[in-house]
Amino acid sequence: MAEPRLVAVLARCSDLRVEVDALTGAVSRDARTVAFSSSDAAAIEHGLQLASAWGARTLVLTAGGPECDGPLRDVAALGAEVRRVATHGSYVEELAADERALARAMVSAMGERPDLVLCADRSADRGTGALPAFVAHELGVVQAPGLVSLERDGNELIAERRLDFGRRERMRVPLPAVCSVEAAGTRLRRASLPASLAAARFEVPVAEVAVPGPAVRVLGSRAARPRPRHLPAPTGSSRERLLALTGALLSHEPPTVIGPVDASGAADALLEFLARNGYLSEARTGYAAS
Amino acid sequence: MTDVIVVGAGPAGSAAALLAARDGLDVVLLERGPFPGSKNAYGGVVYGRVLDEVLPNWWDEVPVQRWVTRRSTMVLTEGRALTVDFRSTDWGKAPYNGCTTFRADFDSWLAGKAVEAGAQLVTSTVATGLVVEGDRVVGVRTDRSDGDLRAPLVIAADGVKSFLAKEAVLLPRTQAKHLTLGVKEVLSLPREVIDERFGVRGNEGVDVEILGCTRGIPGGGFVYTNRDSISVGVVVSVEHLAAAKVRAEDLVADLKAHPAVAPWVEGADLKEYTAHLIPEGGYDHLPPLSTPGMLVTGDAAGLCLAAGIWLEGVNFAIGSGLEAGRHARRIIETRDEKPYRAALEETFVLQDHKRLRGAPGVVLSERVQQQYPGLIADLVQGLFTVTNPTAKPGVVKLLRAAAKNNGVKLRHLMTDGLRGGKVFR
Ligand SMILES: Cc1cc2nc3c(=O)[nH]c(=O)nc-3n(C[C@H](O)[C@H](O)[C@H](O)COP(=O)(O)OP(=O)(O)OC[C@H]3O[C@@H](n4cnc5c(N)ncnc54)[C@H](O)[C@@H]3O)c2cc1C
Repeated sequence: MAEPRLVAVLARCSDLRVEVDALTGAVSRDARTVAFSSSDAAAIEHGLQLASAWGARTLVLTAGGPECDGPLRDVAALGAEVRRVATHGSYVEELAADERALARAMVSAMGERPDLVLCADRSADRGTGALPAFVAHELGVVQAPGLVSLERDGNELIAERRLDFGRRERMRVPLPAVCSVEAAGTRLRRASLPASLAAARFEVPVAEVAVPGPAVRVLGSRAARPRPRHLPAPTGSSRERLLALTGALLSHEPPTVIGPVDASGAADALLEFLARNGYLSEARTGYAAS
Repeated sequence: MTDVIVVGAGPAGSAAALLAARDGLDVVLLERGPFPGSKNAYGGVVYGRVLDEVLPNWWDEVPVQRWVTRRSTMVLTEGRALTVDFRSTDWGKAPYNGCTTFRADFDSWLAGKAVEAGAQLVTSTVATGLVVEGDRVVGVRTDRSDGDLRAPLVIAADGVKSFLAKEAVLLPRTQAKHLTLGVKEVLSLPREVIDERFGVRGNEGVDVEILGCTRGIPGGGFVYTNRDSISVGVVVSVEHLAAAKVRAEDLVADLKAHPAVAPWVEGADLKEYTAHLIPEGGYDHLPPLSTPGMLVTGDAAGLCLAAGIWLEGVNFAIGSGLEAGRHARRIIETRDEKPYRAALEETFVLQDHKRLRGAPGVVLSERVQQQYPGLIADLVQGLFTVTNPTAKPGVVKLLRAAAKNNGVKLRHLMTDGLRGGKVFR
């Protein structure tokens, strides 16, 4: 493969200190605390390092409103190209909830095919982490999610990812590829003061992308008022009708009363209940109780 | 080319940057926090009259919590409280008097005005020192790479511990004697509960200043109402606090447990705890306000007015910052910093400080702090306790007894009365 020319970083910018009022449950967001999460910042730093090693350009894209311009200017001060993908319009504002549509919007905002796309392993608001897969699908390239380290090996990447039980998986990733990274082992550098001052009045380019509406469309919404169910009136004497309506004197399974018992007594009672209801075989009960 | 570097986007720095930028100067406003106000702490009331001239109708946009329409002064002793309470509907409508506001909101708003005027705000950047050539300050060093920034004028608005003023030897290295420590809790309560407990409606708010709640350590306490929280705290002399070996948060706990305060805070959730120093030396201990190439404003210059029933720092910081910004161009052109001090002498900033120069001495004196609260409480309790079948005692008799009970001689009362009268005349 030829030398990589473009590393694109999809970095999410959001309020990292959303407050929830303990009394009312009201959620308040604040534009002043909008920033890249540490894994988004790690993706940007990896992007800058790899692009500089390859002599490639770094393009950082963020989908969001003007509140993202400050953090994007900080990235511009580091020498990266930046672009904000405008999300006005009701559906597009919900882009993060539809990662497939978001992936399409971001890929179309890139304007050219990148050799490597980097992003965070998941968004700060506990997203699904599915965005890299959708981006890889859009671009028709391989993906390697959840990485803790990324090194250049010629025009390929050597990447590492955590496995269960403290093990690590080491992989060779051919380009073009989409990689998502954890906030591990790297921190986003800060621009020099002159670069920050120079970037302060920089107008962040905004990409207006046409996003197709959602496949499933809402036709309308209203309060749920199901029709009442029609039941035949009970018949018989007044006593029989009363019994039929209240359900009194019908046989019920008596409630299970447990305790007070000690811990092993409680465990026995639970096992007995599970066995009685067919969740455990007798043999298993015997084993557990012994 | 940068003309003016303002260090600190608190009220003083943003006010200075606002006027310097409006005057067409190239201004860089450095702030160590991630946004203006993020690192700042105070009690809770801003008196915005000082903004009338530079930001007309500021009250329509200031991020207000409540407009203070009720001001109380309270004297506490164990189990007793005397309150003088004043309320004015005038303060609840334009042009208003004071408002409670959070510093993160207020400082961001004021810095935003400076940015609108053309100042360049650089956050998360600490000025770590001065760049000096000969006897002139010609810039600042910062914690950023390639971080030296040069300008013909530096305005130090970096708050009470001002490392810049210290480096320029305008402030002594340690100044505990003229510092008080303020500690504050913000306690959240539903809005309607605050309205009910404090007898206010809508966006009306209350400012309560309290004497006698600091175990005899020179200082006082306060309670302010925000929209759906209240601020409760104390301000005490650093030296005396250290000598008494008392923890400041214990004083706040005492205050919250006092029977006059406990019903206000009952059931509230702790939202925030802050502590910050306050310069309270007053006029007699002001440092030089400039050195060649540098002006010092706000708390960095010790310009907070702490005079007993008044604790006004934000408006004094803004007042001094405005003068620094207003005279920046002339000072750059003439390389003469004297017009700054001269301008401050002409405004409320130094006039009030000068007039109230004796206030810290009176208010923080041992008798006012330790003996008079008990004396006042004894006197009032005597006046209002019905002693039937014994006839009512005369006021003079009660006063004598209260004075004796609290170790105060009548001649002390006379001299303190005269001294207080002279200071607050
Ligand atoms: C507990 C308490 C209660 C108070 N109550 C009131 C009240 O109710 N009303 C009132 O008017 N006043 C009150 N004050 C006083 C008031 O807070 C101050 O007087 C006022 O904030 C001073 O403003 P300033 O701009 O001079 O300094 P500050 O508000 O301290 O601002 C200084 C700014 O400089 C920044 N900074 C510091 N060093 C550096 C550096 N090296 N590089 C870059 N940036 C730096 C800081 O982050 C900060 O933003 C109170 C103070 C306290 C502590």
